[in-house]
Amino acid sequence: MTPLLSARALTKQYGGRNGCRNVSFDLYPGEVLCIVGESGSGKTTLLNTLALKTAADSGSLHYTATHGDQLDLLALSEPRRRLLMRTEWGFVQQNPRDGLRSGVSAGANIGEPLMAVGARHYGDIRYAATQWMERVELDASRIDEFPAAFSGGMQQRLQIARNLVTSPRLVFMDEPTAGLDVSVQARLLDLLRTLTSTLHLSVLIVTHDIGVARLLAHRLMVMQGGEVVEAGLTDQVLDDPQHPYTQTLVSSVLPV
Amino acid sequence: MRSIETSSEARAGERAFIDNAALMLRAVGIGKTFILHGQGGVQIEALAGVSLEVERGECVVLVGPSGAGKSTLLRCLYGNYLASRGSIAIRDAANDGRPVSITGAEPHDVLRLRRGVVGYVSQFLRVIPRVPTLTLVAEPLLSRGVPEDEARSRAAALLARLNVPERLWSLAPATFSGGEQQRVNIARGLIAEHPLLLLDEPTASLDAENRDVVADLIVEARERGAAIVGIFHDEDTRGKVATRRLELQPPLRH
Repeated sequence: MTPLLSARALTKQYGGRNGCRNVSFDLYPGEVLCIVGESGSGKTTLLNTLALKTAADSGSLHYTATHGDQLDLLALSEPRRRLLMRTEWGFVQQNPRDGLRSGVSAGANIGEPLMAVGARHYGDIRYAATQWMERVELDASRIDEFPAAFSGGMQQRLQIARNLVTSPRLVFMDEPTAGLDVSVQARLLDLLRTLTSTLHLSVLIVTHDIGVARLLAHRLMVMQGGEVVEAGLTDQVLDDPQHPYTQTLVSSVLPV
Repeated sequence: MRSIETSSEARAGERAFIDNAALMLRAVGIGKTFILHGQGGVQIEALAGVSLEVERGECVVLVGPSGAGKSTLLRCLYGNYLASRGSIAIRDAANDGRPVSITGAEPHDVLRLRRGVVGYVSQFLRVIPRVPTLTLVAEPLLSRGVPEDEARSRAAALLARLNVPERLWSLAPATFSGGEQQRVNIARGLIAEHPLLLLDEPTASLDAENRDVVADLIVEARERGAAIVGIFHDEDTRGKVATRRLELQPPLRH
């Protein structure tokens, strides 16, 4: 099987400091890969670099598109990048207000990405939006309300619906459950797990919550000081951590 | 990965799987040392120089005193622990029966092996909160592409056989008794009929009646042609399921 996303020695630094250095990995279709580490370890920089939101300094990054074409992402033209973002990728922001448009209704937030890829039939778009609201366990009768009328956890689910409605193949998520209370978090995790397995999604998730990583991810990358210090199967990294930092991280989790 | 595997050893491993079509698992010179960096770099020797070959239809029971490394060996075989020394190869049904070396495989290959070949049942149920029992048990089948109706009816049949009351099937197992949780865990571990099963005390907190049901299920798996490596604390179950025993001794501590 060819990897969906393949990074080699990817580096992005800010004035020669911070950022992420020398990151290499392969992500295969249907896999959920979690990037864990303390704040300031370069997780979000890495995610933004992978999602082409910030330009990499050096290294290489390749992506296998739907029809099997190998794309060199670091040399991609702007129109192709935008097309890729619309048709094959999703990006779920930590703060739902960054990923939603506050000036249009919940239904329009879900329908907009569909229109961006060519849907024009109003009835179909509204129907798809209703379906997705139910799928992420939102009350579909609130389809015409603005995002601000929903709670934080609901907004996060709305953002997930907005990102998945176009059936992307690769979804980036930056701390999707941070800032939510635990009961909403558990429900959201269950939802994400179901969606990733039924839609055969590949997902890259940044989180600092080891519990989230254990439940959702097939694989883990542990970052410290901008570098990946350990990578492997989720249960192996958490049950038999090799690197001193990973051992500290795992032994610092509070038991419930 | 940290395995010490010379190419001649790898070739000998491949040949062993070609020469013996029933061979499922071949482990040579497995050792495990834990290094606790946070506690002054203390080294704990958990397992030293264990070799093991398991064929289809065999059930190897690991015996030995507490601390002999029985669970550590099972976890190394599953890829949950990284073996510090030695090599482990498992026959890959999907890949013309060619072996995959767990020590040195890509995470991606280990994942595929776990879906299709290697099943692991521990003493503890570790699952996503709030997911109903029946869904949990059906999940391994769904992930292998079995239609939902069939997966759910097979899950129901297995839960019934393990005496998990039907009124509990729609509930999440967090509030179940220890024995009930363990039986849910066994159902989840056995339902996909993996050709290689690793069982870490699956009967630890069961009463005699349920222990017998589990022993029967294990014997059925064995007779179906599964290769099994297990740890059982009671002599009764060992006697029923084992075709062979492997005695482990605690490694010499420094």
